[in-house]
Amino acid sequence: MTLEARNLVAGYGDKSILEKVSFNLADGEILAFFGHNGAGKSTTLKAVLGLLPAKEGQILLDGERIEHLTVSARLKRGLRLLPEGKGVFPDLNVQDSIEIVSQSNRDPNGAKISADDVYDLLPVLRDRRKTIAGEMSGGQQQMLAFGLALLGSPKCVLLEEPSVGLQPDLVEELFGKMSDICKKLSISAILVEHKIASAMKIADHVMIINSGKLVFNGSKAEAEQINLWNYF
Amino acid sequence: MLYVQLIADGVVTGCAIGLVAVSFAYFYATTGIFHVAHAGIYTLCGYIAWYLTGLGIPFILALIASILCGALVGMFVQVTLYQTLENKGASPLVKLIASIGVLTTLQNIVAIFFTPNIVQFDLPWRLNSLTIGGVWFSVPQILILLSSVGLFAAVVLFSKYSKLGKRIRAVASNPGLAEITHLNPQRVFVYVIAISSGLVAVPGVLVGVDQALQPYTSLIILLTAVIAMIAGGIGSLGGAFVMSIVLAVIQSLSVAFVSGRWSIAVVFAIFVLFILIRPEGLVRRKFSRAI
Repeated sequence: MTLEARNLVAGYGDKSILEKVSFNLADGEILAFFGHNGAGKSTTLKAVLGLLPAKEGQILLDGERIEHLTVSARLKRGLRLLPEGKGVFPDLNVQDSIEIVSQSNRDPNGAKISADDVYDLLPVLRDRRKTIAGEMSGGQQQMLAFGLALLGSPKCVLLEEPSVGLQPDLVEELFGKMSDICKKLSISAILVEHKIASAMKIADHVMIINSGKLVFNGSKAEAEQINLWNYF
Repeated sequence: MLYVQLIADGVVTGCAIGLVAVSFAYFYATTGIFHVAHAGIYTLCGYIAWYLTGLGIPFILALIASILCGALVGMFVQVTLYQTLENKGASPLVKLIASIGVLTTLQNIVAIFFTPNIVQFDLPWRLNSLTIGGVWFSVPQILILLSSVGLFAAVVLFSKYSKLGKRIRAVASNPGLAEITHLNPQRVFVYVIAISSGLVAVPGVLVGVDQALQPYTSLIILLTAVIAMIAGGIGSLGGAFVMSIVLAVIQSLSVAFVSGRWSIAVVFAIFVLFILIRPEGLVRRKFSRAI
């Protein structure tokens, strides 16, 4: 099991947003995470990465409890976040962005994914090496953001609305790439997404949250048997 | 010939202010902290060099020592003050007020431990001069000119091509992403303030050699530098340096037309006009905190 949350409670200040959220995620599995705005999707991702403290419950990565660890310690253990709409360094070119993140995510045991691997996995970035990230198209920026999230030795990537602002054909292309890479390298992913149909194509597991409570948590096959909209 | 001499004097002053502006802008663009205490470090470094040369230590060693002291004081301020305030979730205004407190403290430390009076370096060569094409320069002015241009170019090249320079630009352009990609912004802030404080020591010492030292005059220099930074386009090191020279030349030339006591008012009036006409500054940047 890569990532597991047990009765996780988290929120902002004194206010709790999540109410005893529990889920688990196996190696290479993609978990599609749906819910309306403010339901608690981003709060869950932030709590998992440590950007918000867990008030109650446990978070385990490969069996190790991590809810008390700093963001930096969780990053070292292989958690990554692709934040919504802010996943690139707008003033740096592609090559420099990949180079510095690659250096900062060096693994003493050897990085699972190097800068060259990212260029091989996402060839569009090789063609745009000298392009300033902030001047690239939305789709290219998301490819770069995903590439940056992969550098080092990731075990689980938290993807926060990666399709925002992208045309439908680009969403399909981006999600296809993400799915191929996660399966190929056994990286698990939580995909927070509003484009349900596109996300369902690559999901192995589905979770729906409503007002901080998980109202559906099942396999893709189970999710396809029901009307997901009833849970929103 | 008077105008040419005034322009030359303005360029020299502008280069010194330019280095203050560039070093201030480098830290501000990276951290978002309005580091007014930069003026205090400028003053402190000048006095350290003055004190060391008074002990008979060669000027170049005194300059290097003051650069190192400036860097250390800057790092101390970052680690003990700004980082603590950041951890407590303090607003930019609180950090500004804290910075003003540090400035006042540094100025008073200088006044108490050295002297509150105007002092001059006891260096015979500071009175030497040379004339180039009919324009007169003192030796300290030439040192200011060469060191400012050289250090400005070094900062630009460092920012563009070195690993740390790229990392600093990354943190400046997206601090949130820098945090979650393990770039360690807090450590980067310490490096940046060390660089900025070390840089500001150079004009702090050389302007003191050229003119004189006084504990409470650095704030007006910083203010002019900040105006240059804003007018040059926040985040543009080149814009800040060029605007510093432009403002200093205007200030220098203004004495040919109005009384000298109006020269600072002229600069500030031009700044207000400039901001009304071109609020984004001389160099238009796409990203507000890019450097």
